[in-house]
Amino acid sequence: MKRPTLTLRNNAEPLVMEATSLYALAALLMLVQLPHVLNLPIWISVFGVAMITLRVYARRTPHDVKWRYLFSTPSITLLAVIGAALIRAHYGYFLGRDPCVAFLFILVSLKFAEYRRSADATLLLGLSCILLLTQYFYSQSLIAALVTLPAVLALGHALAVLRDPTHALAKKPQLRLIGKLLLQGLPIALMLFVMFPRLPGPLWSLPDDASGKTGLSDTMRPGDIGSLSQSNEVAFRVEFEGAPPPADARYWRGPVLTRFDGFTWSPEPRLVEAYPGSTVPSALEYTVMLQPHKQNWLFALDQAVSIPSKDGSITPIGSVSDFATLSTAGQLMSRDPVTRVLRYTQRSAITGHFQAPVKPSQVELNVPNNIPRTTTLAKKLRAQSSSANDYVNRVLNRFNQMDYRYTLEPGLLGNNPVDEFLFDSRQGFCEHYASAFTMMMRAAGLPARVVTGYLGGEMNEDYMIVRQSDAHAWSEVYINGVWQRFDPTAAVAPERVENGLRAALPDGEFNNGFANSNAFSWTKKAGLMWDAVNHDWQRMVVDYNNRSQENLFKKIGLPSFALWQLTAFILAISAVWCLWMLRSPLRKKPPLLPAERIWKKLETVLQSQGIEREPAETPQAYLERAYQTLGRGNEELQRIGQTLMSARFAPMTGKDAEAQAGQADAQLGQLRKTLQS
Amino acid sequence: MSSVAPLPQPSNPSATQILDALDTVLLGKRGQCTLALACILARGHLLIEDVPGVGKTTLARAFGGLLGLPWKRVQFTNDLLPADVVGVSIFDSKNQEFQFQAGPVFTSLLLADEINRAPAKAQSALLEAMEERQVTVDGVTRELPDPFFVIATQNPGEQRGVFGLPESQLDRFLMGISLGYPDKEQERLLLANGDTRTEVDAMQPLIDPKVLLQWMNEIDEVHMADSVLQYLHDLVIASRVEQNGLSPRAALGLVRASRAYAFVHNRNHVLPDDVKAVFASVAGHRLTGSVLAGAAAAKTITDNVTAP
Repeated sequence: MKRPTLTLRNNAEPLVMEATSLYALAALLMLVQLPHVLNLPIWISVFGVAMITLRVYARRTPHDVKWRYLFSTPSITLLAVIGAALIRAHYGYFLGRDPCVAFLFILVSLKFAEYRRSADATLLLGLSCILLLTQYFYSQSLIAALVTLPAVLALGHALAVLRDPTHALAKKPQLRLIGKLLLQGLPIALMLFVMFPRLPGPLWSLPDDASGKTGLSDTMRPGDIGSLSQSNEVAFRVEFEGAPPPADARYWRGPVLTRFDGFTWSPEPRLVEAYPGSTVPSALEYTVMLQPHKQNWLFALDQAVSIPSKDGSITPIGSVSDFATLSTAGQLMSRDPVTRVLRYTQRSAITGHFQAPVKPSQVELNVPNNIPRTTTLAKKLRAQSSSANDYVNRVLNRFNQMDYRYTLEPGLLGNNPVDEFLFDSRQGFCEHYASAFTMMMRAAGLPARVVTGYLGGEMNEDYMIVRQSDAHAWSEVYINGVWQRFDPTAAVAPERVENGLRAALPDGEFNNGFANSNAFSWTKKAGLMWDAVNHDWQRMVVDYNNRSQENLFKKIGLPSFALWQLTAFILAISAVWCLWMLRSPLRKKPPLLPAERIWKKLETVLQSQGIEREPAETPQAYLERAYQTLGRGNEELQRIGQTLMSARFAPMTGKDAEAQAGQADAQLGQLRKTLQS
Repeated sequence: MSSVAPLPQPSNPSATQILDALDTVLLGKRGQCTLALACILARGHLLIEDVPGVGKTTLARAFGGLLGLPWKRVQFTNDLLPADVVGVSIFDSKNQEFQFQAGPVFTSLLLADEINRAPAKAQSALLEAMEERQVTVDGVTRELPDPFFVIATQNPGEQRGVFGLPESQLDRFLMGISLGYPDKEQERLLLANGDTRTEVDAMQPLIDPKVLLQWMNEIDEVHMADSVLQYLHDLVIASRVEQNGLSPRAALGLVRASRAYAFVHNRNHVLPDDVKAVFASVAGHRLTGSVLAGAAAAKTITDNVTAP
């Protein structure tokens, strides 16, 4: 072979490495990288997989100059720098979740390409563990955890192979070793999960890379909620203390919209915080597990009478909680966008109306100028009505009596959408009805607003699932000093409130694949079961926080520890466990032979007489010394001495040895008796 | 407390007879005699280190007589030639050919007196004989009788006119023992009864040489338990902490000597005590080149190795 003209010290090192560890590591890295393919741009994945494939391919010709240059330290460093630059260019920033994970992804692949020494393997194992964990930056769901399982198995495999790469184990002992490795780690993992000190909040707030907001938005145009209702995604889950509210009371209040420009509803830009306290006698307590929707609002049932706080305690409204407030519009707001599953405990009163902390402003009476026909009708009806309530009933009756239809396909509306809907098409979804109804109120001089949120919820085992398809919009009208809830959709399609969207829509319009299936079919059941499993995962694993930890400690009677105590405790337990595990090879030494056991007993007996054996003292010499010093029981000592000496050192079958040991045991008993008398 | 007799120990009746007979000529040296007997039964060569006149030669001669073995004696001097030990070919003018005149080495028990007074060349002549149990003279290899032992005596190293034995040769002696001066009591008895030399010459064999060979084979059958072997190995390893440790040959010798010692005590198995008892005599001269200094070195080792 021609010598390369360029000689770099590192290049001279051939890429020799035994196949088993190379393949084991390659498999591990591939499995660790696999789940990230969904999170990272495709070129990163291609780059990573290509490096690993090339390195495995290069194994065939480890002395090939081409490979030795490609995988030399300068070349690998250059590739890393290029990778970092490309990532920076791709994302526009570097210090954030996505670019950093992408960089780690590339680094792991490059480290593998550079692999030469066994120390590299150790580093690779550590790096792949970290990369594996970064997956949980994206999702902490049960699926995400299951997806990491193959990688964990591969990790065990790599550890087993790297233990002694040149002497690979047979398949069965190998599997047993992997199983043992993982099982040995399990108690530590469990203990760390249960005991490890939890901080009240997230350790660091992850930058919100992906801006895909889901669910309700803070504006409402006709058709918005209709399209949302096609989604079967879970908006949030609720656990109730006690019985859940009846179906017609499950109004989950979300964004409150007051501004209307004739087409789009939007919220008051400046929401006044600090809602003054009110006393509501009976309240329903429940815990919401809100899926991340990247928005600032929380959902509360009907009239919220408390503000949730981080530690799970309940703060009465009127005070300020550490992360949430109740706006004067009665909307529950969190200080930061909800980017991970948020769990909060909340209290609500089922009243159907809302206390008004401040008098309604002109905004709630504002009527755009593209609804002339609506305004005229409203004025006419108002003149005929005896009271505000009478007027509201007349309007609702109109929806109910006249030929209005509740549909997901209302058709296109022109420049006067409210007028066109009310008088011409008369087909609409909840947002059309809420919008039109609110306008009717305002045109008649009654302050009114649109509330969006969810209506309904399905009980699954002991909790309720609220899906995006439960999204809804309704109205609140200011009558007699309170904001009274009216749901014009209920006037058109009462089934919507009682039985959900599917029952209310005309046949064939409801295209939600999942919920469209027969309620009793197995897919529906399986779906609900899966949701229950996910929910349990969420509340038992992901939501296991400092408070649940404290509760658990209290339950099993442990005092609450200081952080350092807990850390010391965990370290101590881990150390003991590791030592115990490491001791296991010694433990496999055959147990003491029976004769040896009785010899030890004899030593103890003689020791109690003040005759302790020196470590270097041979047995016969020891017996001799005991014989000389004991003063009594000499006959017994002589007998047991003879028996034990031959049992310990003479050639005999196991059976004989056992018989001798038994004899010695009896003789020891006699000796003891003599010594005690 | 001294009124209590020691624990009764089994012993080989024939071996006891031999030891008892030795007692009559070597007063109060039972322990050394037992070791010497074990050494011979283990087919080992014995080195006796002492000042002149304490009974080295008597011991060797008594062994020869009691075991019924033909024995010869070579007095090593500083002008001793190898041919004086192994023999020489002499031209026989009658038959017109060289005839081999066998040296004193062609015997069963060779007493090499004051071996360290001879120069290295003569010492090494014994080397092949001791290890290979054969002698090569003028290109012809001649077998030595079986059994063949060398009992060599050497004067303490600090005496004048002494050529210390090289380590390689020391390693060929299974045991090195020292007789030392007799006890006060025993010496008085000796003085009262007069010289025992005539008694030694009159000693009758107590066992048949065939029985002796059979014993030697039986010794290989003596059982050594794993724990005892472990102890023995620990001792060997401990000896190597210092620079000059025991060689594997020495370790093998230690095994044989322990077995023989157990056999002398009429046991079919080795006790840790047997190993400890022979350790000083097996290891001492190898570790220091001198039996007396070696005994102290060996004691340090046995005092520090945990017994089973």
